[in-house]
Amino acid sequence: MIRLRDVSKSYRQGETEVLAVAVDQLDIAAGEQVALVGRSGTGKTTLLHILAGILRPDTGEVEVAGARIDQLGESARDRHRGRHIGMVYQTFNLLQPFTALENVLLGALFGRGAGSGAKHHAEALLAQVGLGDRMHHRPNELSVGQVQRVAICRALINDPELILMDEPLGNQDRSTGGQVLDVLLKMARDGGKTVVMVTHDPESAKRMQRTVDLATLRPRALA
Amino acid sequence: MKLWSISLRNLRIRLVATVLTTTSILVATALYAAILVMAEQTEQRYKGSVGGFQAVVGPKDASQLELVLNTVFNVGDAPALFPLKVAIDLRSGTNFSRRGQIRYAIPQARGDSVSSHAFPVVATIDEMFTKFEWQRQPLAFTRGRGLQFSFDDLLKLADELADYETARRTGAPSLPDRPLLQKEWKEAVIGARVARTLGLDIGGKIVPVHGKLGEFGYHPHPEAACEVVGILAATNSPLDTTIFLPLGTHLLIDGHEGGTFVLEIPPGKNPEDAKKLPVRADQIGLTAIIVDPKDHVGDQILRREFMSRPDAQVAKPREVIPRFLQQIGTAADALTVIAWLVLLVAAVSITVAIYNTMNERRREIAIMRSLGARRHQILTIIVGEAALLSFFGALVGVVVCHLSEWLLRDTVEDMTGVYLDWLQFGWWELWLVLGVTGIGALAGLLPAVKGSMTQVADNLAQNY
Repeated sequence: MIRLRDVSKSYRQGETEVLAVAVDQLDIAAGEQVALVGRSGTGKTTLLHILAGILRPDTGEVEVAGARIDQLGESARDRHRGRHIGMVYQTFNLLQPFTALENVLLGALFGRGAGSGAKHHAEALLAQVGLGDRMHHRPNELSVGQVQRVAICRALINDPELILMDEPLGNQDRSTGGQVLDVLLKMARDGGKTVVMVTHDPESAKRMQRTVDLATLRPRALA
Repeated sequence: MKLWSISLRNLRIRLVATVLTTTSILVATALYAAILVMAEQTEQRYKGSVGGFQAVVGPKDASQLELVLNTVFNVGDAPALFPLKVAIDLRSGTNFSRRGQIRYAIPQARGDSVSSHAFPVVATIDEMFTKFEWQRQPLAFTRGRGLQFSFDDLLKLADELADYETARRTGAPSLPDRPLLQKEWKEAVIGARVARTLGLDIGGKIVPVHGKLGEFGYHPHPEAACEVVGILAATNSPLDTTIFLPLGTHLLIDGHEGGTFVLEIPPGKNPEDAKKLPVRADQIGLTAIIVDPKDHVGDQILRREFMSRPDAQVAKPREVIPRFLQQIGTAADALTVIAWLVLLVAAVSITVAIYNTMNERRREIAIMRSLGARRHQILTIIVGEAALLSFFGALVGVVVCHLSEWLLRDTVEDMTGVYLDWLQFGWWELWLVLGVTGIGALAGLLPAVKGSMTQVADNLAQNY
């Protein structure tokens, strides 16, 4: 599902070139659930953005869901992301003016299309996570746990092969967050989806099948 | 869910900015539409209203435009008087090389008006309702009938008035009785809008007034109060605002008798001396004669006759009006340029309004991009906002233009003689709405390009 070789990404800060991420080799199989851990500043989010196709690596090969996304143009990467990848962020990134249902449908609109089939699918997903009676509420009318569940539904609406999560429990108490994460992981497992989660939280990491420390992925010369 | 529904939602979120920007588009469109409507309907009405007026004979002193505007469109005061002799000559053919070239020659006299709307009073004869043709048909009535005062009645009355005036002016020892206003002449035919505005029906009373309310010389003529005997069907022309009285009534209104003769000043005499000279019946003053030459030959004969005539001239509305419209068109072109400038300012206001929101929308755009939105989709959403905003503004602008027509139609008609049909829509209005929408969409391009260039990772990163 995921294959990275000699990937690096740098940023320029004034006169200095800062290496944001460097990965010698990383392979994640289809259906695998992997926690990506590491100290702050080791480039976990940058790597997630490279996997999503939001950023293009400076060097190396990135293969995700059967596509060499490092070789794709921006528009093709956007399309690939919309169709094959679901994303859940720490702050969930729901759009406030839209209802829960509309936020989920936004994912479909930019993914596989937001026709009537997508609407039924979105309603079913929201009902599945216990938001059947809250789907016409806006994010500011929902609790943090409910917002997180909406974000999960949005990530799943296009039935993606890969789900990328960036500190999805960052803003919640461990008990509520853990329950919601369990829901997502079960849905992912049932659907045979690959999950990559960036986290600082060892408890969350334990819920995953494998934990990868980003520091161990650095090329020997840099490490 | 569609991209345009996101555009619509974004407009609703920024409701105040949306309303203000839409208003600027609305004003520009309404102004532009109003100029085009006025130009179009003025042209249609002016061209359409000449339908029954093949030729107008009037005084030599006036310009042809003055003559046509006053006679056909009720605009301005009657320029001057000319003698009844002209009408007699036209009708009898005395001075024409060939007889029978005129289908009708209907004399008219103007000067008085009715009500604060100043509906013009036109004194005329029965042939206005039996021979005159409006769009190739005699004038139609919704109720009642035409006037009964004939040209023969006019000649007879002119003789009596001339005898009386001659005796009075020359200081004859015994003054004959002044002709009396006959009861059967105290009748009026009114246009459709006069009836509607004044709430008049058959049997209602019309009291002509001289001059304008509040001006020197203004006075009513209660002795000439006339009963409404006919109401004309609407023609959407100045005929709708006209009140027709018999010429006999006009001539016998108190104060008109002395001034209605066109005096001839013999060589060596001054105007004061001329007032003491005898008058003839054919010196009775008219303001216009509506003439319909039988054919092209009659038309040419009419022109030739009046080229050499010292007391009157002939004007052809079909020739005068296009020249007039050409002059109006130049003014309309200037106004159109102003409307374009207003539209341009409105378009710039769209650009500024949306551009100013781009900074606060970077995160929202980044989120959509992270969900898979391509740059062109972001561009479409933002251009869609500008287009929707312009479309609504233009649509409401056109509606406001027509509502303004409805509100101002009476005032415009009083001032210009142009009847505004507020329900008359043209295809150009559809193109105007689409054009303004297109201009608005173009105005949205700059902020749209900026929005589509939003860096996704940078603007999502602020949350980590």
